[in-house]
Amino acid sequence: MNPASLIPTADTLTAHWGWFHFLLMLTFPLHLFAMNAMLGTALSAFICHLRPAHPYRDLSHELAKALPFMVAFTINLGVAPLLFVNVLYGHLLYTSTVLMGLFWLAVVPLLIIAYYLAYVYDFSFEKLGNKAAYAVLAVLLLLMSVGFIFSNNMTMMISPASWLRWFATPGGTLLNLADPALLPRYLHMMTGSLAVGGLCVALYSSTVLKHNSAVAKAGTKLGMQLFTWLTVLQVLVGSWFLLTLPGEVMKRFMGNNMFSTGLLVTGILLAVATIISGYRHKVVATLLLTIPLVYVMAFMRDSVRGGYLAPYFDVTKVPANMQWSPLIFFLVTLVLGLVVIVWMLSKLPAFRKS
Amino acid sequence: MNYPVWYVPTFGGGLLIALIAIVHVFVSHFAVGGGLYLVMTEWKGIREQDQSIMAFVKKHTRFFLLLTMVFGGLTGVAIWFVISLIHPAATSLLIHTFVFGWAAEWVFFLVEIVALFIYFYTFGRMDDRTHQTIGWIYFGAAWMSLFLINGIIDFMLTPGAWLVSHDFWSGFFNPTFWPSLFFRSFMSFMLAGCYGFITATFLKDEQTRHKMIRYSGTWALISLALSVPSGWWYISVLPEKARGLVAGASPTISRAATVAAFSLAALTAVVIIMILLDPKKARIRMLTVVAMIAAMGYMGAFEWTREAARRPYVINEVMYSNGVLRQDVERINQEGFLKNAKWVQNKEVTQANQLEAGRELFLHQCFACHTVGGFNNDIIGRTKNMSYGAMQKYLATIHEKRYFMPPFVGNENELKSLAAYLAAGLHKKPLTEEVITVGGRGKSLFEDNCAPCHAAEVLKPKMAGWSKEKIRASLDKLPALNPAMPDYSAPVADKDAMTGYLHSLNNMGSAAAPPKEQGATLFDDNCAPCHSFDVLKPKVSGWSKAKIRTSLDKLSALNPGMPDFTGSSAEKDSLADYMVNQTGGAK
Ligand code: HEC
Repeated sequence: MNPASLIPTADTLTAHWGWFHFLLMLTFPLHLFAMNAMLGTALSAFICHLRPAHPYRDLSHELAKALPFMVAFTINLGVAPLLFVNVLYGHLLYTSTVLMGLFWLAVVPLLIIAYYLAYVYDFSFEKLGNKAAYAVLAVLLLLMSVGFIFSNNMTMMISPASWLRWFATPGGTLLNLADPALLPRYLHMMTGSLAVGGLCVALYSSTVLKHNSAVAKAGTKLGMQLFTWLTVLQVLVGSWFLLTLPGEVMKRFMGNNMFSTGLLVTGILLAVATIISGYRHKVVATLLLTIPLVYVMAFMRDSVRGGYLAPYFDVTKVPANMQWSPLIFFLVTLVLGLVVIVWMLSKLPAFRKS
Repeated sequence: MNYPVWYVPTFGGGLLIALIAIVHVFVSHFAVGGGLYLVMTEWKGIREQDQSIMAFVKKHTRFFLLLTMVFGGLTGVAIWFVISLIHPAATSLLIHTFVFGWAAEWVFFLVEIVALFIYFYTFGRMDDRTHQTIGWIYFGAAWMSLFLINGIIDFMLTPGAWLVSHDFWSGFFNPTFWPSLFFRSFMSFMLAGCYGFITATFLKDEQTRHKMIRYSGTWALISLALSVPSGWWYISVLPEKARGLVAGASPTISRAATVAAFSLAALTAVVIIMILLDPKKARIRMLTVVAMIAAMGYMGAFEWTREAARRPYVINEVMYSNGVLRQDVERINQEGFLKNAKWVQNKEVTQANQLEAGRELFLHQCFACHTVGGFNNDIIGRTKNMSYGAMQKYLATIHEKRYFMPPFVGNENELKSLAAYLAAGLHKKPLTEEVITVGGRGKSLFEDNCAPCHAAEVLKPKMAGWSKEKIRASLDKLPALNPAMPDYSAPVADKDAMTGYLHSLNNMGSAAAPPKEQGATLFDDNCAPCHSFDVLKPKVSGWSKAKIRTSLDKLSALNPGMPDFTGSSAEKDSLADYMVNQTGGAK
């Protein structure tokens, strides 16, 4: 059976595909930043527990307070890109979701447990004593397992050849483990996340926590070390990932496609630059380099998806039936929402001073 | 047919959706109403300069945050996940049609999170005015989320003018939009009151505790009272088919209606007790549990009814529960289902693959609502009375006879192949065409038309003592006997043949029926329209004749839905005699 014959028909779009692609590529990195901060915070807090010295204990307590926020925003900021992926690639995503249904549903209980544990870790930090280390480790592992489930779905949805297995195993228990690119891809994602997460911890420590200089210093140092060494490691993991990609996809980054190749080159240059600035513990400079780097990586990821799907599906060919008013309604809501959020945040420092 | 099916034979996806949805609405409505409750209660504390109220609000905010943001938020994601898993085609349609509605909802979700965090973490550390404004922003954003989701959910039940225009707004502001918005808003305020009990019981100071309980109870009671008329309004704007299902044609909705009625009564009673009496702490907890269960029953029954009222569609008039679009039915009937389906291995029915193809047809057309050997709507149990021939006839008019099921979609060979799978694949019944048996024509008519739901042995005692005329007459008005039963629209000759067969069930071998006791006739004429004896029997078993006789004097007191029996005293005696004879109770 030809796997292409299994691909469901895509529904008509209500706006030009470019709108959804734009919104997807805009919001997905935001989700990544929040997710990275979340994982980095959890990892750093755990490492603090391994170092009994005084500022580390306080630092882990401070990170404990921040963790639930990160979980909340990671989830919220994940909703938007997932929605736009549903619009552009829903017919592929739902198919692979059915194939791995049991695991996909497990995401929710895993997240609920992780989220409540993060609150336990925060609200009962003192009471937990030494057990706090296990709590935050559990949060970290749970969240990383959610990432693994996502990696499976995101790779299986672009590999129709793997879908034939459904006929023998229709119970929603399939994963994409046979794909040689799955593991390096997941590790690439996690290494990058924990690195950027370390950077976020450094940023948090050097700004919000600066009133306590010992803690601020410890946090900045730990975060920047994490960032730098994990990014060095990332160069290796990333190369491994690149080499496990199917030939046609890999060649996109090796000159077959100028845009993709340009992305790779830019990505490598930015990564080297961040390693240098990270090694020197320059938080702001590293951050300014990392933000575009994450966007470059998101576009490379998009190009990988395009490469996998090239024989099967072209998102630019999906019919569209433009309806302007809902789009305008959304954009107006977005702007107003952001204004209200900024207003509310502006009330925070005012109360801090008084 | 466009998508694969998540196939766990013993476990239906519909039930999973319902479970997650009911838990989710119970928390997400609290997330809306609770927002209003928090700001209003805080305002009360500010006005009355009452520190104990402020302490209560703060405590309640923490509970609110932990419950709504974590559990409420994630069960919402869970619904999205589970519907895309079980109804992928419908999810795709909803996402594509309303993408910017969902996207706007995401913005409100973001505003909610920021506002709630600020509200909680600055409690008592911000000036009252600003803090109240933040609270109002939270409530406004939460209510807007309700507003948006309400439009999309109701679209599934009443797509209205969208069917023609395919325009976002006409689908969004659909016929049930406003009544449902009111109903849900009142529900959310009612829940806020109920959840208020939970925090209130933990208050140490007795006076504040009672004050807050009474306050929460008033919230719940007023909102509950307002929810009832808006619920009626909702039902009254339903399209005719859906209203028919709600009025009794759907067995699962009837059950939900009973749950709703009991829950409403229990909830009202508990709330009134909480307001009027000053119950002690331990008792408050118990009552709170009852109130929460009743509130869940009330809401759950509403959601269940809303879901079931659009059967056999997942999006009313557009897409059937099994993902088949109504507009495609004609074409697929011509071309064949398997040829058009993507996720099947048998593209055409042959002698060799008949059962296998039938299994695939079942998977894509029936499994959406029927498990195989599972505990929910098990197809094995539901088909055990039907022969291969009867199954074919049943499938040909499945939607006409049983509106809540979609029509079988496909060509004639495919229909036979599905029937073969159901008869031989599931039950090992022979695949012989039309066997004419002893009962003759009447019997085979019975098998085709009645056996799908009624085994002859079960029907037999119910018609004990019925005359031919009575049987014949009831064949003309089946829905009047029970609204779930479809009309039997057959030529007169068929009805007569069927009557002969049905009559023979209780009168084997005897030409003339034995003279019937008076009590049996009285039962048939006065009770049987609503109660089959089989169902009544266990309820009155062990009752003495005297007890039956007395209750015949006060039927309406037993159940307000029952009219009083207007017969003479002698008639009541013989009816009681008859019943006690049947149940074997003390004379
Ligand atoms: C939209 C959901 C739905 C779909 C799809 C569906 N059914 Fe049903 N079916 C039901 C419900 C609900 C009942 C009755 C349950 C009850 O009585 O409580 C039922 C009952 C039955 C019965 C028992 C007889 C009767 O009429 O009550 C049979 C037989 C049956 N279905 C066969 C099928 C077959 C075959 C298919 C596939 C072609 C199918 N159903 C598809 C919902 C569905």
